[in-house]
Amino acid sequence: MKQHLTFWMRHLNKLRWLSLVTVFSMLIIIPVLGLYQTYVAAHAYDLLTPGEKRLYDTVEFFTGPVLNDPENDLDAIKGTTWSGTFFGLKLSDPLAVLGQTAAGFEVYWPFILTGLIPILLTVILGRFFCGWICPATFLYELNTNLGAWIHKAGIPIGQRHFDRRIKYLVLIVGLVLSALTGSVLVAAIYPPAIIGREIYYAIALGGFGAGAVFFVLTLLFDLLVSRRGFCRYLCPGGALYSLLGRYRLLRIKREVTQCNDCAKCNAICEFELDPMKDGFGQECNNCTACIAICPTDALLFNIDYKDVPYQGPGHLGHKYRENQLESLNKEVQQIYEA
Amino acid sequence: MERREFLHDLIAAAAALVAAPSVVRAQILNNKTGIRYLRPPGALEETNFLGRCIRCGQCGEACPNRCIKFFGTDNGISSYGTPYITPREQACILCMKCGEACPTGAIKPIERNAENILAEVSMGKARVDKSLCLSYQGKSCGVCYRACPLQDIAITVGWMEQPTVTEHCVGCGLCERSCIQIPQAIRIIPNYS
Repeated sequence: MKQHLTFWMRHLNKLRWLSLVTVFSMLIIIPVLGLYQTYVAAHAYDLLTPGEKRLYDTVEFFTGPVLNDPENDLDAIKGTTWSGTFFGLKLSDPLAVLGQTAAGFEVYWPFILTGLIPILLTVILGRFFCGWICPATFLYELNTNLGAWIHKAGIPIGQRHFDRRIKYLVLIVGLVLSALTGSVLVAAIYPPAIIGREIYYAIALGGFGAGAVFFVLTLLFDLLVSRRGFCRYLCPGGALYSLLGRYRLLRIKREVTQCNDCAKCNAICEFELDPMKDGFGQECNNCTACIAICPTDALLFNIDYKDVPYQGPGHLGHKYRENQLESLNKEVQQIYEA
Repeated sequence: MERREFLHDLIAAAAALVAAPSVVRAQILNNKTGIRYLRPPGALEETNFLGRCIRCGQCGEACPNRCIKFFGTDNGISSYGTPYITPREQACILCMKCGEACPTGAIKPIERNAENILAEVSMGKARVDKSLCLSYQGKSCGVCYRACPLQDIAITVGWMEQPTVTEHCVGCGLCERSCIQIPQAIRIIPNYS
């Protein structure tokens, strides 16, 4: 039984990538479907430009067999990860809810309720949005891989470390500025919101906007200054999710009897956490990269509201064996002396 | 004396804290960029609108006429990512789908019938420039009257199809879009200004 479980957990990282790819491609597909809807609603196929006709034909080819009334049926899934509709259910990012509450200086329940399901999931699963859904994570992780290749080619990349608590400051300053200006400013510096918006602008409105520049700058920051720097140190959404998920129930736990202290988990962790020494904390986004890379299956999901404190060196590692040998020697010596 | 001074400072600080948001808001909103734009139909008054709008872009995605566009930084940072309409380029057809899509109520959901639209929508008001209008120059035209979705309520025509805008005009901009004069002889004066 446990072996089956371990097998599935080892492959969760692939499932996560599937999820990230799905979300990202949905962000591209939804605006395209939206464009198609406007073309259908206009009943003017003959007036479309050749490019628009090509889009119309392509979408019709794929959706035609499934849909009877594309003009209305395609309204089922709309929006982005920032705020959207999923089969009639309106969902919003908790940061959008908090930002709006701060900017409007009001409690507007119909909107706050749209953030309820994501908030509840975050309280239970922790920062899972960052690892499993965020469309910016998709690009940032590819960016990390790019950085690794560049590093392999011998070109130095950014390896700086900052204080992880900076992002909480960004969150607070962002909310205070939103409240002072009466305008939801956090939306302007939150990468997933920017990505959703900019992809939509590029597809439906004919070009990227100012947000794309900001996002490219964060990519360069990650590459040249600090690996995954924006998510680690600056993202206001990540800060909010970390706080919400502080007492999450689903956690990764190190089985000390299986661990051999190889430190591969520490190297793979995008958020510079310390799984090898049981250092997960509120910033772990349950991305399962460490589970996937662990050669001895020492990392597994566990249900608890807090992490286990440091359990000492892994029992399969050198250090543990040396310690054992040492204490054994001492015992022998004691017996010998007595 | 010291206590009195302290209380003075305390009251001054409290007053500053209360006043600061409105001052900063006024400073940021006071972008005299000269851009003439309309907010989507059913949008709240400008200050409340900016506090509600989360820049998700769903109003634009819902718009079948594709008249809703989004600000970059050109109208001040507080307007970044918010929806607007330039009626001369593409005007609002009052389909009211944006209000349905809006998650925050920055654009109120309004049912699509004449009474509700007349009661709740106020994007602006059309104004006729009689020195440019063909009908007032003796060449009867009447295009704006025919483009109006609220004919005879929002706009009436008299002799030689000379248009007169009534107080019921909601400011959708279809008249401005259709005006055959260049520059247009009828334009929407937005409500926020």
